[in-house]
Amino acid sequence: MLSINNLHARVEDKPILKGVTLEVPAGEVHAIMGPNGAGKSTLSYVLSGRGGYEVTEGSASLNGEDLLELEPNERAAKGVFLSFQYPLEIPGVPALTFIRTAVNAQRRARGEDEIAAPAFLKLAKEKAASLKIDFEMLKRGLNVGFSGGEKKRMEIFQMAMLSPKFLILDETDSGLDIDALKIVSEGVNALRSPERGMLVITHYQRLLDYIKPDRVHVLAAGRIVASGGPELALQLEAEGYDKYAGAAA
Amino acid sequence: MSLSTALKTGDVTALPSRRDEDWRWTDLRGLIRVLPEAAPKFEGEVAAGPFAGLTDGEILFVNGRHVATSGQGEVMGLRFVAATEKASQAASYALVVEPGASLTLLESHEGRAAGYISDVALDIAVGEGASLTRIVLVEDEAEAVNVVTASVDLAAGATFNQTVLTGGARRQRIETHVAHPGAHAQVRLDGIYLLSGQRHADQTTVVTHGGVDGVTSQLTKGMVADQARGVFQGRIIVQPGADQTDARMGHHALILSDKAEIDAKPELLIFADDVACAHGNTIGALDEEAVFYARQRGIPELEARAMLTEAFVGEVVERIEHAGARQIAAAWVAKQLGRSEEGGAE
Amino acid sequence: MAAVKETIDTVAALEKYEHGFTTDIDQEFAPKGLSEDIVRFISAKKDEPEWMLEWRLEAYRRWLELEEPDWAKVSYPKIDYQDTYYYAAPKTKEGPKSLDEVDPELLAVYEKLGIPLKEQAVLAGVEGAPRYAVDAVFDSVSVVTTFKKELAQAGVIFCSMSEAIREHPELVKQYLGSVVPTSDNYFACLNSAVFSDGSFVYVPPGVRCPMELSTYFRINAKDSGQFERTLIIADKGAYVSYLEGCTAPMRDENQLHAAVVELVLLDDAEIKYSTVQNWYPGDPETGKGGIYNFVTKRADCRGDRSKVSWTQVETGSAITWKYPSCILRGEGSSGEFYSIAVTNGHQQADTGTKMIHLGANTKSRIVAKGISAGKSTSTYRGLVSAHPKAKGARNFTQCDSLLIGKTCAAHTVPYIEARNGQSVFEHEATTTRLSDDQLFYCQQRGLSQEEAVALLVNGFVRDVLQQLPMEFAVEAQKLVAISLEGSVG
Repeated sequence: MLSINNLHARVEDKPILKGVTLEVPAGEVHAIMGPNGAGKSTLSYVLSGRGGYEVTEGSASLNGEDLLELEPNERAAKGVFLSFQYPLEIPGVPALTFIRTAVNAQRRARGEDEIAAPAFLKLAKEKAASLKIDFEMLKRGLNVGFSGGEKKRMEIFQMAMLSPKFLILDETDSGLDIDALKIVSEGVNALRSPERGMLVITHYQRLLDYIKPDRVHVLAAGRIVASGGPELALQLEAEGYDKYAGAAA
Repeated sequence: MSLSTALKTGDVTALPSRRDEDWRWTDLRGLIRVLPEAAPKFEGEVAAGPFAGLTDGEILFVNGRHVATSGQGEVMGLRFVAATEKASQAASYALVVEPGASLTLLESHEGRAAGYISDVALDIAVGEGASLTRIVLVEDEAEAVNVVTASVDLAAGATFNQTVLTGGARRQRIETHVAHPGAHAQVRLDGIYLLSGQRHADQTTVVTHGGVDGVTSQLTKGMVADQARGVFQGRIIVQPGADQTDARMGHHALILSDKAEIDAKPELLIFADDVACAHGNTIGALDEEAVFYARQRGIPELEARAMLTEAFVGEVVERIEHAGARQIAAAWVAKQLGRSEEGGAE
Repeated sequence: MAAVKETIDTVAALEKYEHGFTTDIDQEFAPKGLSEDIVRFISAKKDEPEWMLEWRLEAYRRWLELEEPDWAKVSYPKIDYQDTYYYAAPKTKEGPKSLDEVDPELLAVYEKLGIPLKEQAVLAGVEGAPRYAVDAVFDSVSVVTTFKKELAQAGVIFCSMSEAIREHPELVKQYLGSVVPTSDNYFACLNSAVFSDGSFVYVPPGVRCPMELSTYFRINAKDSGQFERTLIIADKGAYVSYLEGCTAPMRDENQLHAAVVELVLLDDAEIKYSTVQNWYPGDPETGKGGIYNFVTKRADCRGDRSKVSWTQVETGSAITWKYPSCILRGEGSSGEFYSIAVTNGHQQADTGTKMIHLGANTKSRIVAKGISAGKSTSTYRGLVSAHPKAKGARNFTQCDSLLIGKTCAAHTVPYIEARNGQSVFEHEATTTRLSDDQLFYCQQRGLSQEEAVALLVNGFVRDVLQQLPMEFAVEAQKLVAISLEGSVG
């Protein structure tokens, strides 16, 4: 489903990704772990099309379609969703308005009809309840005044509302306590399906207790230096990243 | 040096130019070489204005002439319509709000022809304990020149709330002078300008605090795109002895293209010491991170920028107390942003 | 350390305006008034080459065509340009060859002021303390410059303008008038015609000037104007810190000070320019006497990543009109302006800065603190502008005014012009007064009213004081306190 081939990317002339190759089949959850500075966030930004990141070599495609040539919103319409490590506050734009605008923009891009207001509200109430989000909070500015945990839950809520094909979760567990972590993980797991793929980027193994991956990859110094089953994550937790520090020079 | 003098005497040298300190960013002399003929009396129907349906009555000016006054009540419409192409017009109107009374004035400047030159002078007196809310919606034509000057005199305990919403013109100046007596009177002067193409809008305010215990609060937010130019001059004067004055001014603007310009001069002239006065001015661009966030959710770039700009000026819209006027203002903002040619620099 | 400590001790020992004494020294005057002949007289006295005389004459002719400006919020009686001496110099046989040859009366004046003309005095200062190389200017003439040999070893040229015109004409020709052109403004034009002397500094590539450089000016002669001209050039990667300090005696008539300071910075160069001014402020009752201070100071950050910082403490002068500015041309160049302006009595100050962003990614920072007391008026006037090509320009401005008493005034008039979509400008201004509660609190803890005022004012100006070289900061604090004596109660 997601195909990354020998991807090289740099930020302001500094090479960060130095040849990443990765396949995530539909229906699978792959975890990317690695030391700080390895390029984990860079990978998520390059896949989602954030400005300031230059691809110097290689390719990335979703279901056979090249991603790198598309604008960020075009990638979103194709089904890519990035859950931000630090979700933004947008004062003055109510959360519901923001999401409805996004839903309709993606539908228009795909040639579909826009969602009707009653249907949208019904769906929003449903998903909010399942994520234990107070519906009234959705009428306030997006993420304004939300705690870290609440912001992450809002990311999952948006995911549920947009129904993406491929999810990239960038350090979704950072700043979360156990309770928040459980709710967020439940929300993510509820989205698992044979038609959906996921890339879970995390520094700590803990998240993977709740969102169990099919494969685990280690990203160090801009390259995937090891791949394995879920037990690889446990190994990393026990041994740390030291042995990969000098690996991909 | 004023447009009204120039129109009265036909003397083009009476136009303010950039040599005049107060007009350095709104040069009329350099733009207008020849003053056009005065517009004729307009015979015909005038379509409803932007605030139709919200008002108890309406005072209508067309081509500078008072045409009709109908109805009366606590919400009045004041309309200045320019109906003749390439003509000049000058209107003046005096308004008195009796002590204790309350009036919401929904004022609109409607450019229904091309290339006119218009001058409007308003003389407003708000009596003791009275309250006036003035919402000014300025929709001038792209090639027009319009100067609207309001002198507001407040009595003790009066309240004056003003919000100006403008899309600019070829050259435009909305000027407000407030004689603030202190004496527990309260003033709020807000504004929004959303400019694209080659439009220009100048919002100039002067609030003079002449007595003890007065409050002034100002919030102006603007956006310029393409080759537009926004000007903000806010002067607060606190006379000797005007103690316990609380005057705050904020001006925040977004420049969305590399050919647009913002000029600002938030001025404080303070002659009394027991006062709390401050002004803040910021000019910048949209938060690119926020733009990317919206785009990642599937919202195309232009729409994302319009949405964020709408949120940015939304704070001023929210301060409008009259629900109907607030809705019109919000709708106007949305329409203005949908029309912008370029969304921003890439 | 020694220089400033002596100054402080001297200041503490005297009452009211400590430097308000006159000296009777043999002086030579040009006839009063201004004309082409006077310009020639000045040039001849200084033994200037032909090209310099021509430069002056052109400036004089240009000046005749200009009109005196009057847009500042200051009001002053018309200056009679013909009723002033444009050249006053102590009589000496020729230039002094060593300190021993300098008029001992003159040396006594400087000693009284605590200026370390005697190199021993400086060398005997506290160990490890920075030393000052000093250029002393008495009325129109630079009397002596210390530490020249040591500076020369580092490759640094620090001498009077007169000497630079004679000894380093190539450098002077290349840079003089390139930052402040002759016709820039009325007073700069006048200065270009009749400038008497000033300091010249050149720091070669990669050199960090080994000590702080300083000039002390003194206007002594009655009715004379002081027209100094300073030119500082920092070549690639060079660094220099320059301190300007001034004093003047009490006089009934106002005296004119119209100076021009030009700073040139090449790639990666840095100049720190600090001024602690203490002109005679005019009689506190009537406002008569005092100095008219019109100064054009400009830094041209030509080089990429060059950096200039203007720090000033203004506490005197009847009328001040100065706007140190920065032309931020080089990519990544930055300009800073830190200022404390204190006005008391009948003083008027109209000061501020101009930051002109021309190059990409340029930064500017302005922190201006104005304190007004008595019947004075302090105005901050600033301009921050970003040219369409100045992408990524960033400015932060903070202007605060402190009003002491009910008869003074403080104005803030900023002009902000942004012409591209990638600049970020932030400006904040506040106006406050000394809080009665705070004053009472201090007094209840044992401080006298004067001490309380000094304490609170210090807190208000802290950000700026921190920018001054330490010794200067101490001096500045004292000066601010003295200027505000009698302002409360």
